[in-house]
Amino acid sequence: MIVVEDLRKRYGKTQAVDGLSFTVEPGRVVGFLGPNGAGKTTTLRILLGLVHANSGQATILGKRYSQLERPFCQVGAVLEASGFHPGRKARNHLRVLARAGHAPAKRVDEVLATVGLEGAAKKRVGGYSLGMRQRLALASALLGDPGVLILDEPANGLDPEGIRWLRDFLRSLAAEGRAVLVSSHVLSEVEQTVDEVVIINKGKLVAHGSVEELKRGKDGRVRVASPQAKALEKKLAKAGFVVTGDGEALLVAGATSAQVGEIAAASSLVLHELTPLATQLEDVFLDLTSEEKK
Amino acid sequence: MIAALSSEWLKLRTTRTLFWLLVALSALMTLIVVAGVIGSQKHNISSAKDQLDLLGIGSLGIFIALIMGLIVSTGEFRHGTITPTLLATPSRSSIVIAKALAGMFFAVALVGLAEGLVALELAIALPAKGVDFAIHAGPAAGFIGRILIAAALWGALGSGIGIVLRNQIGAVVASFAWLFIAEGLIIAILHSNAINSNAGRFFPFQATGAILTNGSRNSADLLSTGSGIAALGGWMALFTIAAVVLLSRRDVS
Repeated sequence: MIVVEDLRKRYGKTQAVDGLSFTVEPGRVVGFLGPNGAGKTTTLRILLGLVHANSGQATILGKRYSQLERPFCQVGAVLEASGFHPGRKARNHLRVLARAGHAPAKRVDEVLATVGLEGAAKKRVGGYSLGMRQRLALASALLGDPGVLILDEPANGLDPEGIRWLRDFLRSLAAEGRAVLVSSHVLSEVEQTVDEVVIINKGKLVAHGSVEELKRGKDGRVRVASPQAKALEKKLAKAGFVVTGDGEALLVAGATSAQVGEIAAASSLVLHELTPLATQLEDVFLDLTSEEKK
Repeated sequence: MIAALSSEWLKLRTTRTLFWLLVALSALMTLIVVAGVIGSQKHNISSAKDQLDLLGIGSLGIFIALIMGLIVSTGEFRHGTITPTLLATPSRSSIVIAKALAGMFFAVALVGLAEGLVALELAIALPAKGVDFAIHAGPAAGFIGRILIAAALWGALGSGIGIVLRNQIGAVVASFAWLFIAEGLIIAILHSNAINSNAGRFFPFQATGAILTNGSRNSADLLSTGSGIAALGGWMALFTIAAVVLLSRRDVS
């Protein structure tokens, strides 16, 4: 489990992280979102012991990263696709890390196969594309077969097939009970991958919840059509929902399809349509972060 | 610590840096040995002492040892590999010490190979010139041993300097500027102002001279061989401690 508690980090006059708190439970994929300069990478680096916090706690499995018994085998991290010596072959890069991090040497070939790089394992990393480097970074994170994964923009440079693979892969990791914290600016991808999102802006927490909760809380609307629209409108208004529209079709704000359907059923009202209106995570994100800017 | 050291060993073996340093050093040694033997009169290279001086050409490898130590450390910052290195080994003092030891081992290996090459070339070139190979095993072993001690200390010192300065080109330029310009300049200033004319003997290049020079040939300006080892070891320890302190305090972002 990852716990961030009242975390603060200042660089000169810039407050990069400002009292940030959130948790990531095992078996969950949590998206870590925020505009450029929001403090995402700083937070992840503090979690991994690379950057020193001014105050607050950032722990993984109840301890600071450096205090973990075998951190490389307990926490896997992808921070950037540039931490490679260009003259070193991919397989050797992984061998170096496995040796330093006490990971079994046999894992090197296993993770190369997992990320689809077995054919390029003996190629020098300097000749790799950005997508291949990203896969190699992911292979590095998986070397120790860790229970916690911290990934900073792992979809960068991946082609659509690679992005789909990553999405399925992250879901499979969570299904195995691992905690996955993944930062991304590809919001549409995050939306399809994560269980929850943590949205930060200017180092502060803006929102934390499931994607559905955030969408509903911000602008959840349901379109409902009924030949008894007038009666339904009264019932919904009585239940506290804001209803607009005319004729047979109504728009119900702040409600789920289930809530509307249950109210209609309880009153024996006939429905011709019951459609949740999709709100993109991007809209929620922009609303939340722009509100912060105001 | 053993895992970190083993990883450092593998790092250097899995790039071409060490190979090219060895090629450069071997080419340089060969050129100097051949030029030294061909360009000298027979009577100038016939005594054991003269030939021991030719064997000392291998001590130039100490500069390569310094460069290698610098590369061991600055390469991490240049290529951004310091991040995965710290993730695999969060103990920053372990990383500094592992790099210092790796710098030592590789410097000894590199300079040892170069010195072996020089001895082999002399064993071929001197008879070809019509001069008997007069170097005896005892003095040669002692001389090569002192060169290897100096190389080991310079390898580790380079590693410490590299972590302190981080920028690869900056570290190489600063180190050689110190060796070839600053150290001599400061010693000259110390002498001219009579501040402390003995202090210069403890500087790295002067201490190296003390290590490499036979005790019988030590000039009054140099420390004894043992004190030279202690002085150069002191510089190595100073930069290793500074590297531990700075790497532990710095954010890696």
